[in-house]
Amino acid sequence: MKIIKYTTQNLQKRLLCVLTIVAFVFLFVIGKLMYVQLIQGTMLQSRAISQWTRDLPLSGLRGSIVDTNGDTLASSFTSYNIYLRASNIVDAETVANLLAEILGIDYQSILQKATDKSVSERLLAQQVSGELVERILASDLDGVYIAETSTRRYPYGDLLTSVLGYTTIDNIGQSGIEAYYDNYLQGTDGYAMTESTITGVELSNSTTTFVSGIQGCTVQLTIDVGIQQILEGVLDRAMEEQQAKGATGIIMDATNGEILAMATKPSFDLNNIPRDDIETLLNYSKNTTVVDIYEPGSTFKVFTTAAALSSGVTNIDDTFYDPGYRIISGERIKCWRTQGHGHETLLEGFCNSCNSVFMDLGLRMGTEVFYQYLQKFGIGQKTGIDFYGESAGIVMDASMVRDVDLARIAFGQAIAVTPLQMLNSVCGIVNGTRYQPRLIKSITSANGTTKEFGSVIVGSTVSNSVRDTINQMLEAVVSTTGECTFVAGYHVGGKTGTAQKYEDGRVATGKYVSSFIGTYPASAPKYVMLICVDEPSAGIYYGSQVAKPYGGMIFKQMFDYLSIAPDVEMAEITADIEVPNLVGLSITQAGALLRSIKLDYVIIGEGEVVLTQAVPAGTKVFAETIIQLFTE
Amino acid sequence: MDKQKQPYFVKGFGDVHWGVVACVIGLAIFGIVMIYSASSYNAEKNFGSSMYFVNKQIVGLVLGLCVFAFCYFFNYSLLQKLMYPALALGLIVLVLVLIPGVGIELYGARRWIGIGGFSFQASEIAKFCFIIFASGYMSKYKERMQTFWGSMPVLLCGGVFCCLIMLEPNMSITICMGVLMLTMLLIGGMRIKHFGLMSIPMIAAVPVLILIEPYRMQRLMAFLDPWANPQGEGFQLIQSLYALGNGGWFGVGLFNSRQKYSFLPFSESDFIFSIVGEELGFFGCLILLGVFIALIVFGYKIAMRAKDRLGCYLAVGVSTIIAVQVLLNVAVVTGAVPPTGLPLPFISAGGTSLIMFMAGAGVLLNIHKQSKLATRLVNDNSNANWLILPNTTVKSQKTSLPKS
Repeated sequence: MKIIKYTTQNLQKRLLCVLTIVAFVFLFVIGKLMYVQLIQGTMLQSRAISQWTRDLPLSGLRGSIVDTNGDTLASSFTSYNIYLRASNIVDAETVANLLAEILGIDYQSILQKATDKSVSERLLAQQVSGELVERILASDLDGVYIAETSTRRYPYGDLLTSVLGYTTIDNIGQSGIEAYYDNYLQGTDGYAMTESTITGVELSNSTTTFVSGIQGCTVQLTIDVGIQQILEGVLDRAMEEQQAKGATGIIMDATNGEILAMATKPSFDLNNIPRDDIETLLNYSKNTTVVDIYEPGSTFKVFTTAAALSSGVTNIDDTFYDPGYRIISGERIKCWRTQGHGHETLLEGFCNSCNSVFMDLGLRMGTEVFYQYLQKFGIGQKTGIDFYGESAGIVMDASMVRDVDLARIAFGQAIAVTPLQMLNSVCGIVNGTRYQPRLIKSITSANGTTKEFGSVIVGSTVSNSVRDTINQMLEAVVSTTGECTFVAGYHVGGKTGTAQKYEDGRVATGKYVSSFIGTYPASAPKYVMLICVDEPSAGIYYGSQVAKPYGGMIFKQMFDYLSIAPDVEMAEITADIEVPNLVGLSITQAGALLRSIKLDYVIIGEGEVVLTQAVPAGTKVFAETIIQLFTE
Repeated sequence: MDKQKQPYFVKGFGDVHWGVVACVIGLAIFGIVMIYSASSYNAEKNFGSSMYFVNKQIVGLVLGLCVFAFCYFFNYSLLQKLMYPALALGLIVLVLVLIPGVGIELYGARRWIGIGGFSFQASEIAKFCFIIFASGYMSKYKERMQTFWGSMPVLLCGGVFCCLIMLEPNMSITICMGVLMLTMLLIGGMRIKHFGLMSIPMIAAVPVLILIEPYRMQRLMAFLDPWANPQGEGFQLIQSLYALGNGGWFGVGLFNSRQKYSFLPFSESDFIFSIVGEELGFFGCLILLGVFIALIVFGYKIAMRAKDRLGCYLAVGVSTIIAVQVLLNVAVVTGAVPPTGLPLPFISAGGTSLIMFMAGAGVLLNIHKQSKLATRLVNDNSNANWLILPNTTVKSQKTSLPKS
């Protein structure tokens, strides 16, 4: 084999070659270093900062919710969360012992958290009061950290529940106003940032940066706590007396759209939220006045009347004949009073709530005209209230409406509205101008800046003359004699309604929604209310008996609360009329007897002889009390 | 055969390569400062003394300086006679470290040998043993190196060393060892044809080695995308990048690292360069790398001017191992190659490593000293009576070579 000499020249060439390779690799490595340090540097630095510091939140308190007069409905106060950092705890047993005693938490569970070093920080207790925290601080325990947080309190407890809504334990609005104005109510959290090692141990030379939290805005509602209490008190009473499944009510200022009171019953105490019982929580926290729809029944006749008067198909003196039914397209549709109301004027028909009259009005207008007005009144549209989950109601498509449907819609069936929509549309008519209903009055930030919310006009509804006629008719409904007897001394207007409930698309036997709309002052209403009693089961269900008396109570108490002087000076009316024994009398005899002593009556059943009477003989009642008479 | 007895020491204090001395001592002292900065917090926390690593490194430095000075005087020519003992020593420590009880297992690998209260890394010693063996063999059998089989002993021994280090396991030192072996074979005169032929199985071995140990695959993936698993495999690399990124152009200032607060594992040893980058910035890193480059260039220059092939090969070996470890270490901490634990020469905490590198640097000094002396001898024909000129050595060996 040939020996090739490996000369010193060869060696030096190879050495240079190696040196060149080394130089190139150095260039590559320096290039990479440059890229990491100088180009990626800022990005890496910002990522690194988060791991170099431990920050404890300093909560910015959630803002308060107050009523129209500044009365606090919800507010937050500072409480404390207690954290353990196992890596800083020197004597876990002492820590566990002391904390178990102060906080009343199980010793073993504290010990376990105090010794578990797998996480840097653990939450031990939430919403601890300042008093207990002072005791903890006084013990000067290593590794126990306190962070500010807050607790939400509702001074009125079970009041305005479904409107206010509630927050999560972490103070995030979940429903109602708490959710709708959450962005404003939320405080801005501050923090205490401390430089620390990977395990959360503070660096000896570290500085702690404090940024204090900012309290959330104060949200002022149009709600008046006094009126709200009156409304809820009466609704509770109605529910109990009528053995109803539920009751709702809204009181609105027709002249500007402000909601003064809004209630859904049953409800719960906001300071004791049933968080574990999701079903109860969801059902009871739902603001049904905004979310749920119902078939309005006779109260809807206000719209039919307003539309008919505006379109000129009738006038207040127009006359009708009611045999107790109408036959439309071959279908017999009954009036609620099967024996009929006979000859009557429009006003009488309105007062009698005679279905036949309104069927006539509906058919006279026709779908197109009637729908135009309903559209103008706001039926089938969301009102635009500042509340989540509002329903628009259900209005049959105009092209699908047959005559029978039109006739039914005219007296408040085959149509569904929310209580709020119902009330707001009534307000629009009795006021002539419809406003957007609202709960918000103003929002004030922590630095004192206030934003006021004014009324929002949606549009005009009816002419002044129609408006006045409707108001006149509404007053006539509640006091046929015009003597201010319904709410003694006050000119109040009103209309009742009774609607069957539907379940799975069919009429549910024996289930009704009895409602009452009230207006005051009757000639130019400012306060307009709607109350609905859901499924009364105490034997009677007509709105005039189940809902109207409670409407009267609410008005009476409201006038006292608002110090509104009576329109008419009247002697204090007492329950001084003694109900006579009516059993065995014929309907005509009983009716004549009751009318002679200024009592009203309803006959239930188809027979001619009174079998029982709802109010026992000898009971003292107010004038115009409605006595139910049961026949065959 | 020249039977002239070789002296153990090269007398005189002259001909010191001050560049190498300055680089080595500068690096070692800088290393101690950086170790103090990087480790004081963790040492205090884990060992109760902030000076734990610093003290150990100072002991290493003192011993290292002794060895450094010794090697400056020690006649490197004698290393040729020690090539087989060196090979044996390398094999023994590498085998011993694998025996449970002798080898200390840490972080899932058996890399340290404990004797009494002292422990050292077997592979650190083995690397230098291999340099001695390879230099000795290749300079002695210069002609034989031209044949394929003649170069086999170096290749085989290198291969066995690699395999033994692999068994610890220690991938990074294995790579260093492999690169060192290749460089030495190239410089040692192996024919390019043979060199190419031999490289094929070595390159093929890389994927095999990765596949037999799943953790390497994970590391490789972590390298490709460290952010995919920031708490797991990617953690160390991310922490290293955070440190470097935080440094920027001029660093956060000496002793001001944030990453050393137990965020960056091995901040005082394998990842000390990250802390340098954080505290002293890109400029600090450039200066440090500049010193390393200077040292490496000095080493290769010494190799080129060595009076004989043995000195040349030894100098190449020492310079190469420094270069490879510096480059691999910086490449790891910057994320240019998959993470693998490897000390930064002269800087990282670790006595064995420091002592061995200082010994290597001492040998460089001796090679330089002798080449200076030889040059003077040629020029002056003066009284260096013990010196064997390169040509005479080669000639005498040539005659003893069996003809093939």
